[in-house]
Amino acid sequence: MVLSQRIHDAFKGAVERITGPRTVSAFKEKGVLTPDEFLLAGDNLVAKCPTWSWEAGDPSKRKPYFPADKQYLITRNVPCLRRAGSIEEEYEAAGGEVLLDTADDEDEGWLATHGAPSDTKKEPEELPSMDTEEKEEKRHINIIPSYAAGDDDDAPDMADFEDADNVMRNDDATLETACLFAIEPDDANILRTRTYDVSITYDKYYQTPRVWLTGYDESRMLLSPELVLEDVSQDHARKTVTIEDHPHMAGKHASVHPCRHGAVMKKIIDVLMSRGVDPEVDKYFHLLLHLMSLS
Amino acid sequence: VKEKTSTSSKLMFAPWQSAVDEGFWHQLASFKLETQRLAEHPVPVSGFFAPCSHPQVPSHLQLMEESLPTDPGGHSSESFAVQGNRNKCPVPGTLYNSNTLEGFTGLDTPSLLKITTQQIWEDIQSGRAEETSNLLNRFLLISFADLKKWSFYYWFAFPAVVITPPVTSSSCRPVSEAFDEKESTAIREACSEWRGTPATASSCFFLLHFTSGAVIARPIKDWKLAQEEGGKVIAAFYDPCNISTNPGWPLRNLLALAAARWEVKDLRVLCYREKRGFIDPQLSLIVDVQLPELPEWKAPGFLPKGVGWELNTRGKARPRSVHLAASMDPERMANEAA
Repeated sequence: MVLSQRIHDAFKGAVERITGPRTVSAFKEKGVLTPDEFLLAGDNLVAKCPTWSWEAGDPSKRKPYFPADKQYLITRNVPCLRRAGSIEEEYEAAGGEVLLDTADDEDEGWLATHGAPSDTKKEPEELPSMDTEEKEEKRHINIIPSYAAGDDDDAPDMADFEDADNVMRNDDATLETACLFAIEPDDANILRTRTYDVSITYDKYYQTPRVWLTGYDESRMLLSPELVLEDVSQDHARKTVTIEDHPHMAGKHASVHPCRHGAVMKKIIDVLMSRGVDPEVDKYFHLLLHLMSLS
Repeated sequence: VKEKTSTSSKLMFAPWQSAVDEGFWHQLASFKLETQRLAEHPVPVSGFFAPCSHPQVPSHLQLMEESLPTDPGGHSSESFAVQGNRNKCPVPGTLYNSNTLEGFTGLDTPSLLKITTQQIWEDIQSGRAEETSNLLNRFLLISFADLKKWSFYYWFAFPAVVITPPVTSSSCRPVSEAFDEKESTAIREACSEWRGTPATASSCFFLLHFTSGAVIARPIKDWKLAQEEGGKVIAAFYDPCNISTNPGWPLRNLLALAAARWEVKDLRVLCYREKRGFIDPQLSLIVDVQLPELPEWKAPGFLPKGVGWELNTRGKARPRSVHLAASMDPERMANEAA
């Protein structure tokens, strides 16, 4: 971590310790959330998208302003079907930052249900995406050497036992694992499928949700956070996506930095209100994830 | 990989796959240093999984920070209470963490698998597995934590009772082909009810009972009751597998239970897989299974064979390794932060 980021983190930590969480809604004015609004939006996400769940997380990292069993939100095992390097235009058109399994039929979610044109995705000029914001902010991240998935050949050999009477190493009803890897989508751009756990925490300092990505390789071995950046748009890989400690889980994880979330959400809220749509705070996450092509 | 013909072919099961969160290794390191120390007794752990939810990837049995008991006195109990939910169904496991690399490589892996297979068999015989169906998914983890280098060596097993002669299948097709629209809708509603009710959401095995005009999801312990009440009954399980031609591994022990306890010859099975939190009728499979005659299973003291050590990422029956010095070594982290 570079010095400027560490100083900022120390400052942010100190502010978070001495100030209480926001209690008055400023959703429409500033695009930010109170903890209660975060809970409301989280409950809505879990109810509408059952692949998301609330998590309790590590008891020692619990935030007192949330119930013990509703500390953050997570959805696991989301396939990443494309690598960012190969298809620049598409994600720009989608206004998305991270190329995970972009939703298909049902992800129109909130815009559609509120009478907005269902092809909003094709009108990026109307909805500001994260990348129209803040080109000048250069956040640097420190590169940690790759870790995690060891070459399996460095694992030790096990003692050789005659298979006991009642045990078999493998039987003929076991499907060959080669079959598992034989199923690759036809798209030439698709490498083997990495997967992601996507989580949403509440950032008390920025008063917004914060989205985190934990990556796994095609064998579901941990991916070092730098490799996660491969799946993120190059524009964002070193700026709005940073690698930091997760507030509830162990280790470093890639995160979409929340410093612009409030401003971006405010712009979207203004667009919606100008169309006569009254934005509801409990749909916040649908919109946020939609923006990131994560829903 | 044939299907839809009237002839039967041997049923093959896609092996289950493991995944371990970084948080689990952090927890194991402190568990080893603070609680376990030099003891090597088996430790109850919990794994978690959800039904397959994307056609591109299988769902894994995942170990997380909360997979290990945090209470130092907790190691004596056979299992410990864990918080599960519909996307995190708890599965009981046993961890053997060795003190040394030699101890790890010298572990008698066939015997360990045999012990767990025996537990599963006893749970089937006693009816316990019908009360708590997740017991059918028991798993085994052996490990060695090299805390000087922050390297972890480990190997999973998903013990399955071997049925010989093999189970055959006369048909394996998507739910959308096996049922008409009305039935599909009724199945969808019954499954949603099961998955949406907190008390049943994380129970990985269940029944679908077709009565006049309705389908209801019921716990597997209701098998005999449902038979008496009449109507069609199919067995269902949360299938971690994403392959369109084969069921996943957990079906093996359910079929062992069906053969041993329900004494059925033919069984229709739903391999339950999801899309966006609801049954995916294209991805979910209906498999018509034929079970063989197994007279020797009734003999007192009989113990079936077990199978299930996971292959590594290169397809070999060997342990895996993970190296976490970058995120766990305090000295290295201090240097990088400086």
